[in-house]
This record gives sequence, C-alpha cells and structure tokens, in this order.
Amino acid sequence: MPRYAMVIDQSRCIGCMACVVACKRENDVPPEHYRTRVLEMVQGTFPDLTTEMRSELCNHCDKAPCVNICPTGASHHEEDGTVQIDRKKCVGCKACITSCPYNARHINKELGVADKCTFCQHRLIEGKKPACVATCVGGSRIFGDLDDPNSEISVLLRKTSHRVLKKSIGTGPNVYYINQYPTRS
Amino acid sequence: MELSITGTNAITYPVVHVWDWRVAIYLFLGGLAGGLMTMSAINYLRPGKKCGPMQSVCCWQIPVLAPILLSIGLFFLWLDLERKLHGHLFYMTFKPLSPMSWGAWIVLIIYPLMILYALAALPDEVKVRIKNAFIKNTADALAPHLAKLAKFNLVFGVLLAIYTGILLSTFVARPLWNSAILPLLFLASGMSTGAAVMIIVAKNKEVKLFFTKLDIWLILGELLIIALLFYGHYTGDAAHQAAIMPFFNSSHDTFPYFLSIVTIGIVLPLAIVMKFLEVTGKHTDEVTGFGLFLMNSSAVLVLIGGAVIRFALVYAGQLSGYGYVMM
Amino acid sequence: MAFSRRNFLKFAAMSAGGAVLADTPFISAEARAKAEGGNVKYVPTSCEMCFWKCGAIAKVVDGKVVKLEGNPYHPQSRGKLCARGQGGIGQLYDEDRLKHPMILEGKRGEGKYRKASWDEALDYVAKKMKAIAAKHGPEAIAMMSHGSSGDYITNVLKAMGSRNIAFPSFAQCKGIRDEAWLLTYGHKPGSSCEQVDLENSRVIVLIGTHLGENMHNSQNQEFAEAVGRGAKIICVDPRYSTAASKSSFWLPIKPGTDTALLLAWINIVISEELYDKEYVEKYTVGLEEVKEAVKKYTPEWAAQETELPMRQIIESVHELCRYAPNVVVHPGRHYSWYGNDTQRARAVAILNALLGTWGRKGGMWLPPKAKFAKFNDGAPAYPPASKPPLIRGDFPFAGGAGVTQVLRDATITGNPYPIKAWFVAGTNLMKALPNQEKTQDAIDNLDLLVAVDIMPTETVMLADVILPECTYLERHDGLYKIKTREAGVAIRQPAVEPMYETKPAWWIGSELCKKLGLDQYAVKGNGMDAWEGRMRRQAKAWGIDFDKLSKDTGYVTIPGSERPYITADNQPFFDTFSEKINLYSEALEEEGFDPVPQYEEVEQPPKDMFRLIYGRSPVHTFSRTINTQWLWELQKENEVWLNKKEAKRLGVKNGQYVRLENQDGMRCNKIKAKVTERIRHDCVYMVHGFGHNAPQMTRADGSGADDQKLITKYIEDPITGGTGMRVNFVKIIKEA
Ligand code: SF4
Ligand code: SF4
Ligand code: SF4
Repeated sequence: MPRYAMVIDQSRCIGCMACVVACKRENDVPPEHYRTRVLEMVQGTFPDLTTEMRSELCNHCDKAPCVNICPTGASHHEEDGTVQIDRKKCVGCKACITSCPYNARHINKELGVADKCTFCQHRLIEGKKPACVATCVGGSRIFGDLDDPNSEISVLLRKTSHRVLKKSIGTGPNVYYINQYPTRS
Repeated sequence: MELSITGTNAITYPVVHVWDWRVAIYLFLGGLAGGLMTMSAINYLRPGKKCGPMQSVCCWQIPVLAPILLSIGLFFLWLDLERKLHGHLFYMTFKPLSPMSWGAWIVLIIYPLMILYALAALPDEVKVRIKNAFIKNTADALAPHLAKLAKFNLVFGVLLAIYTGILLSTFVARPLWNSAILPLLFLASGMSTGAAVMIIVAKNKEVKLFFTKLDIWLILGELLIIALLFYGHYTGDAAHQAAIMPFFNSSHDTFPYFLSIVTIGIVLPLAIVMKFLEVTGKHTDEVTGFGLFLMNSSAVLVLIGGAVIRFALVYAGQLSGYGYVMM
Repeated sequence: MAFSRRNFLKFAAMSAGGAVLADTPFISAEARAKAEGGNVKYVPTSCEMCFWKCGAIAKVVDGKVVKLEGNPYHPQSRGKLCARGQGGIGQLYDEDRLKHPMILEGKRGEGKYRKASWDEALDYVAKKMKAIAAKHGPEAIAMMSHGSSGDYITNVLKAMGSRNIAFPSFAQCKGIRDEAWLLTYGHKPGSSCEQVDLENSRVIVLIGTHLGENMHNSQNQEFAEAVGRGAKIICVDPRYSTAASKSSFWLPIKPGTDTALLLAWINIVISEELYDKEYVEKYTVGLEEVKEAVKKYTPEWAAQETELPMRQIIESVHELCRYAPNVVVHPGRHYSWYGNDTQRARAVAILNALLGTWGRKGGMWLPPKAKFAKFNDGAPAYPPASKPPLIRGDFPFAGGAGVTQVLRDATITGNPYPIKAWFVAGTNLMKALPNQEKTQDAIDNLDLLVAVDIMPTETVMLADVILPECTYLERHDGLYKIKTREAGVAIRQPAVEPMYETKPAWWIGSELCKKLGLDQYAVKGNGMDAWEGRMRRQAKAWGIDFDKLSKDTGYVTIPGSERPYITADNQPFFDTFSEKINLYSEALEEEGFDPVPQYEEVEQPPKDMFRLIYGRSPVHTFSRTINTQWLWELQKENEVWLNKKEAKRLGVKNGQYVRLENQDGMRCNKIKAKVTERIRHDCVYMVHGFGHNAPQMTRADGSGADDQKLITKYIEDPITGGTGMRVNFVKIIKEA
C-alpha cells in the first residue's frame, strides 16, 4: 500500500488560485466553502519586502486530532495513509472542526457532514493526481508515495530541507513545505 | 505583515466559530446535573444529617431534577448537530480515544443510575400520589437500596461534571481548553452549582446551612482553580498566553470576555461573603425571611457564575488557536 | 469511496505505460469514459475564459459538465488550467446568462426588452442593416469585437462591403507592442503567445508585466519553472507584484519613466560593450546610430528620472548581460500606458536585439515553421470596401486590427462619413474603451446597436437587439492554428448542447448572411452540424486527422515545425526592408518619428493626487468573469492599493471604503483601500474590470470600482493610435 503525501514548493507558488477552484469543482464543494486555500504573507517596508506564498490543505496527520475526537468513527485513517471522512457515519457534531489545529475542515451544509481534503482519493484510485496538483500552474504542489523511495516526493524530501506546519503540536502532518522563499541574490 | 488568504471558510475564519450557546448550555447543565447527583448523595450519606428519616434524601426533588436538567442539556446539544436524525450514529461504535464517544456512552450509564436513585428516594407522601403501579412498585423495591444507589450517584456525578471539562481539555488545537486544569474547574463549578440548587430547593434549615458551608469551600476552590488556569496559560507558550488575552482586554472586540471575568470576579466572591455572613450569623431554628433571601440569592449568584464560566470558555476557547500564519 | 486495490490497478494499467500517478494521464477520451462507466464523457475542447485558449477537457456526466481539466497535449495548457479555466463551468451554468434573443422596446438604456424568436430578431437586424446600407453605404455598419465569436460577424460585414472593424485588443492593449516589434524585427513578438523561452531563461526582465497576476497559463508555468530553477528575475514595476515578490531585483520605478531606464540600460550595454557583438553584427542594422542617440542617457540621469538607486540600475543590467543571450526582456502585452508607448516597446525590442535573445535558448524562440493551406470553404472573395475604412485614423502604423476610438469618434462626428450601426461581439465596450462618455455619445448616435454576447453586461443592455451566444462549452469554433514553439491545430467543440435559446456565433453569422441575401458567405450545409462539416473540410485541407483531433487528443502538432533556436541551418528571417533587425528605424524616420527611441517626459500627478494604474487579477478576465460564481467568490470586489505612509497622511485605514475622484471630477463607486507597503507613494493601483453597472448580473453588479470610469483622459500614441490610459490622476475621498 502506498503512503501518500504532498510536498509544497512555496517558491514556485504564484498565487494563481487554480488549485482552489479545481478542488471545488472536482469535489463539488458548495459555494463559499473550500478544502484548500492559499496564503500570501508580505513582510518588510517599502522597498525591502519579502513574500511567502503557502498553499494549505488537510495534512492527513499521522496523529490526527480530528480522528481521535470523532465519536462515530466517521473520521478515520486509511491504509493509504490518508485521513478520510465516511459521510454515512458523520453526525455533524463538529468536534473535528474544532479539533483541527490547521482549520482544514468545514461543514458541508448541503449534506450536514464534516468535509475536508481527501487527497482526491477517488482520483488516486484512477491513477490520477489530486485535482489541485494536476492543475497547479506554478508546479508548486507535488504529490506522491512516501513508501516509494524513488517517487518524486521521496527524492525531494531527501535532498531538500523541509518543514511541516505547526510541528510542535505533534500531529505528524503529511504535507511538507520546501523553499519558503524564492532563491534570490 | 500583510496577510491575505484566499479560500477560507466562515466557520474557521477569521476565528473558529463552530460551537455556540447551545453547547455552553449543555456543558452548564451537564455539570449541574453531575453536581446535583453528587450533592444529594452527599446529603443522604453524610453522618449527622438532621433532616427527617434515614430513608429520605431530604430533598427528593433533587434526584428527580438531575435527569431532567441533563436531558435539557442534551436537547441543546442535539440542537447543535448538523444531522439531527442521525444521532443514533453515536451508539454504533465506541471510540476509546474519543471523549465525545465517552460522553455518549457515559450518558447511557448515568441515566439509569439517576432514575433508579430518584425512584428509590421518593418519600412515601409522594409515592401515594403515583398512579402507575409499576413505578410505585419499582420505587418500593428500590427504596432499600437507596444507600448503594446514592454512593454510585456520588461517584458518577463527579465523573459527569469532570467529563464536561475533559471534553474540552483534549482539544490540542484550542489552547485555552487544552489544560488539565479545565476538568477540575468544571468539576468545582458543577459541584458548587449543584450545592447552590440544593440550597434553593431544600426546606430544612440544617441542610441549607450545610450546603452553604460546603459551597464556600467549593467556590474558594473554584476561584483558586480559575486563577491556576490563567496562570498556567500565562506561563505557557505564545498561543496559550494569547488564549487568555481576551479576558484582560477591554477593547470593543473582546469586551464580552472582559465583562465575563469581571462578572465572575464579583459574583463568586460576593456569594462567598454572603454565605459567610449566613454561616457565622446567629441562628434560630426558623429561617428568617432575610436569611432565606440571603441564602437563595447567594445561590443564584453561584449559578450565574457557573453559567458565565461555561459561556465564556466555550466562546473564548474557539478564539484561541495557532492561527493561520504560524509555520 | 473505499480504496480498492483492484480498481486502482485497473486504472493504473490504463494510464500510459501503467505508471501510477503519471502526469494527468491522458487516456483517449473515449477509453476513459468506457473505463469509468456510467454516463461519463470526456470532450477535448478549447477554453475561452480568457484568450490564451488553452486546451481543455470537459468531463461530462449525465449531460452536465462537472469538471474541466487542462489538455496535456496542448502546449498552452500542458495538462493544467488556471482558476478561470477551472471555473468555466460557472459561466456555463450562470443563471444570469442571456437566454433568448431580445429586441429593445422603448429608449436605449432603459433596459426594456421583449423576447423575440431568432427568426424575428435576425429579420429585424437584417432589415435595419439593409436600410442603413442603402441610405449611407455598407461602410456605415461597423463592428468591435474580442474573442472567437467576432469572426463570424466580421464575415457578414466584409461580405456587405464594410471594413470598419476594430478590436480593442489593438489600441487598448497589445497593438502598440506588436507594431513596434514589426518595425524592429518584422515579426510580432508572438501570435498565440509571446515567444519568450522563459523555462530556459537565466534572467527574465519584466517591465510592468505582472505574471502571476496576469494569468496566461503556459507562460506562468514557465515563469514558475524559471523561478523554481533559480533564474534571476528583474522586475520593473511601481508595485510589488507577485512577480516582484519572486525577483532578485525589484525596481520600483517612478511611473512613466520606464523608457528612461531602458535607454540608460541600452547605453550601458553599448558603451561598456556588453552586447553580443557577433549577433549584432550579423543580424542588426543601426548600432552606431543607436549608440549616438542614447549617449546622453547616463545611469546618473536615469537614476534621477526614475527615482531608482543608480547602483540598482547598473547592477541589474550587468546581471542581465552576464547571462546573455540566455535572457529575455519580456515584450509585455498590455501596452497602452502613456501615449508614447511605441518607443518604449522599441526600446525593449532593441535591448533584446543587443543581447541577442531572438532565436536563443532562454531568450525568444523563433516562430514555428508551418504552412497551412488556404481554406475558405469555397466562399467567394469579399467585395471591395465600399469606402476606405476609418480604422487606421491618421496613425501611420495603426495595424489592421483597427483603432477603436477612431471609429467611435467618427460615429460621434459623422466625419468623414457617417457610421450608423455597430455590432459588438464579446467585448464590454463600456469597460474596454477609455472615456465612457464618448462611448455613450457614439452609441446615442447609432441607428442600430447589435450585441452578440453571453452576459447582460452594461454594453449589451444598451443594444437594440441582443443576440445571446452560447458559451464556449456549448459550441464549435476554430479550428485554431496554435503557434507556440511548434505549430499545431486545436479544436473547440461543444461539451453539452446549448442551454436556453442560445446559439453559437457561427450560426448567428451564417443565418444573418442568409437573411441579407449573402448566402454564398454562409456556412455550407444546414442545421447545427454545418460548422462541424466545415471543420472537417478544413482539417482535410490542412492534412489533419479530424477524428483524432475531436475524439482523442484535442490538439495535433504539425511535425517538424519546431525550430526554436538559431543554428547553422536554422537562420532567422526578419521580415523588414533591410531583412535585419532594425535597431534604427528608417520607416519611423520617414514618417517623422524618432528612428531611435528618445525619452519624453510624461506629466506627473499634481500634489495630493495619485496616478491611477490598473492591472489584472489571476482569477478574473477583465469584466467578463466577475459574475462567474466560482471566480466571483474568490474575489468579489477590487481594492485600491495605497502606499502606507500616504494612507497615514490621509487618515485612511486598511479595509476602509473610499472613492476616487479624477482630474475631471469623475468619481468611482466606493472601493476598499488596501493600505500597503507594496506600492510607491505617487500612484494607486486597482484591478481592472470591477464595478459593474449591470443589474442583471446579480453577483457582479455594483461590487468594487470601475477603473475605466476614472479613465476619462487618454493620450493617443501618434505612431500606432494606442490609447495611453495611465495618464489619469485621482484623489482619495473617504467614504463617510
Ligand atoms: S489537518 Fe486537520 S483535518 Fe487534516 S488530518 Fe490533520 S487534524 Fe485532521
Ligand atoms: S487533494 Fe483534492 S481534495 Fe485535497 S485540496 Fe487537493 S483537490 Fe482538494
Ligand atoms: S495552483 Fe499552484 S501556483 Fe497556483 S495558487 Fe495553487 S499552489 Fe499556487
């Protein structure tokens, strides 16, 4: 079984939002709701400025607080390393939404269930990359299998220093960030 | 820093806003129900009790009230569910690591205990008025086991009250809640509100005085725990420090939190003072009108304080977090 | 969905070579549909959420488009679509769309229409056209257009004998640049897309070009690739754009002084002999003249003029020269800034030539080599123009795409001859042309205004007859010649049937021909398949397998067309009189213009006013997409960027609503202030396209402010007729 993860090369994100819309259409996310977002953080004073671009989504945490808190087992880990929500089991108590340190979840009001990024598992099954990755104009989102030492992400993570979000909370995220800023000089 | 985020959800941005007054009411009533279970059991089990025959819990209304209040609380919790018709899903599994799941199951254990206890504690003058033979017979049959049931209630009352705090304290994402002290606070608060209701309901002066005394200690404990909670956060990491800021900032956005801490700061000490006056005052066997007023109003203050604590913590807890910017 | 190993393998085996997680594995559209079962269909087509026309694949389930993806074969999408492309479904299913033909009842602008049948509406239009042509001559019928649908209506006009057809994309956008490069290289810097070899560049210079925000798919992919590889970006922009945030050198230039910088750079390159001597010798003419003409543009002078540190000016150009010729000074796209823009574009073209970028890796690739057989489906040649068209005005180098404001002026004055009817297709003129009052005046003078469009925009709602076109997902167009490094052909075909009573523009144009008795110019054949039949004939003429194109790949390459770099046996051809790159332009000299660009100062804003500059958002295409649900919700209104210090001085807070008032007292809608370190003190910036005044567009109406409303003033570039639009100054008025 694979162990899926995403690597995000922040330097390459151009803030085009293609990922955001692709995700919504792929997963039929209702209006004004999102499974993934893009942050732009500008620091400094004119004219000495730096920008960090960061796309975010569910981290498919190894020690996922959302899975722990879920009273019905709707939120669960799967063999492929992803965290998924079984819509049939969800009662909409929203504990998982409160529990996620990354604010990665929301309620799908149309269905009354918690919702979040699935790593586009339905596409993975078909051998396709997640929708956001497939359309990432900047090539900032890279997806693959950590258990395959030759996968693009395994190689990248071996040779590039990387970070995860809010590491100190100890959730064990599976979305890795590299190149916080573009190389300059 | 100039931050812009595209793709946020109203439920988590700019701050988490998942749970509202419904959950606060549930936590308050859950704690209160636990407090009532324990307090009425204490009253029954305590040696030297001087309020009528041994088989009576003295205030039979309390054990009846407890399951009713819990039900109201659960009703509000149910109102908060997005899929109200799927509540049974809680009972299709038991998740040992999920405090939400425990909560669901604890309720299943507690209800029978509460109800059996309430039946066993029914005094004869009430029983004669019951038409339903089954209930009457059950109540009669249970009466001899009152002491045992009271002991169970004492323990489970504590568990219920503490559980309401544990639930919140396990949210690592919400620093304000994520403190081992929070369950203790909810325990103390649950117990003290329980005592307050005992005071209001009890007719017997000795009982009133007993719980007034007890409540002084409970409130003192509660205040100490609040202080510890804040101190714990104050000495914690940045997110924990930020978590308590709303309570100490009287600006427009955070004013309700500021007000809540001021309220607690006034209400609970005031209650202590009133109770202290009552306990140290001269007593005849009859409760004077003024004495009654003093006791009841201090009890009401305690209830207000308990509710404010739940509301303030439920809302402020959601404000707390690790934000969007932190790597 | 449960993770099923079996399922996984089934699909894995299908994708190319059985590779799991191949790059958006593209299995033949038919095969994939079969594998997924159910009522799934994949239709390769071309996007038209902007005019890059990426290859897209529509996933259709039960007759509904549920997802759009980039076509991996198409070189302008490479398997990816931008936000707008992804959001195209929102245009298709926009409930505010024009749904049936409408004829105006009552006065223009009151918005009272009656529903009409196609027959009735087209009859009405044809009758009016005939009457106008009879009275004033066919040349009195003019047209302004953008995008694919215009082609079919231009056909009607040309068949009648009018050539008064103009595209805002010329004078309000890139025409100036194209003419400047034609003067220099004998080529435009690109047709389908700019010929920039960004993915191989080592240094990229962007002058006002805000890639990242200006979302041209493949170009942005290459830009990000360059950034990812560590290429150096030199970004010249008064605003800290997304591109600036990726740059090694951000040059926050004083607006209007770009040519000063460019001329100083050219001076440095020549005087320090940093240019590509062999290349310049071999392929260019006029070095000496240029050298002489730019001598006076010293770095000291430029530093003063541009308000940039001199060191930055020198260091950046040194960096550029260090990696030449694998570098490129991006030719830019939207060029109508200050009214002297041809010379700026010339300076860019000259600098590129000195660095030897044309035909060099990482510079600009050579246009692909392909010949397409002429194909007009047996239609007779058009009759000659009834009268010489007005579209070039008095501008010696105005291109064939026409100068819109000249047509507009003639419509107002009736000189030199009256213009009495306009067709407007796919462009919201009110938002595209500067000075809305003039546009309104011209419209008031018309006997007939016909709009062919998808949405009830402000311009459409002024029309006498509204012809609702279907969206790109419901129609055939093309075939498109695609010129990237290679030449290829792409298709647009419907993913679903047209909704409501909308019709494809080819059908509208063709039916109109018939109503006008110009049957020989109509599409051959009857019914809704007629155009497809024509496409098949066209494909045959071009030697292309139509079935492969339409059912499988959506794009085919012309083999052997890709020869991007100069080699011994692949020499560039410059289509100029000298057959070389004209550093010095005799053509300009003959018309009395500077043969080598010279610096001209532009007027600077008076005290307490700011220059209004405008640009693009990555999630919107001008004003066309604001009402599209999935894009609207990402950006519902625009903001005005205001320097933090200035904001403090004015007492404007971030997020506060303000209005802008320009030098002519024109005020815009209220707009949120973005108080930021990211812009100079002397200008304000907003994204173009917002502030609709179109009540039928329920989401877009009234959200944000319209920059075009504030662009009452424009300066015409005397060489090409481009309208400099960054010449308006605004002051900030706080909203109570
Ligand atoms: S990011 Fe949030 S929702 Fe996703 S697995 Fe981690 S805790 Fe759960
Ligand atoms: S992996 Fe799929 S569900 Fe997750 S953010 Fe990307 S597109 Fe959305
Ligand atoms: S698609 Fe890629 S480049 Fe565009 S915003 Fe998303 S992560 Fe960034």
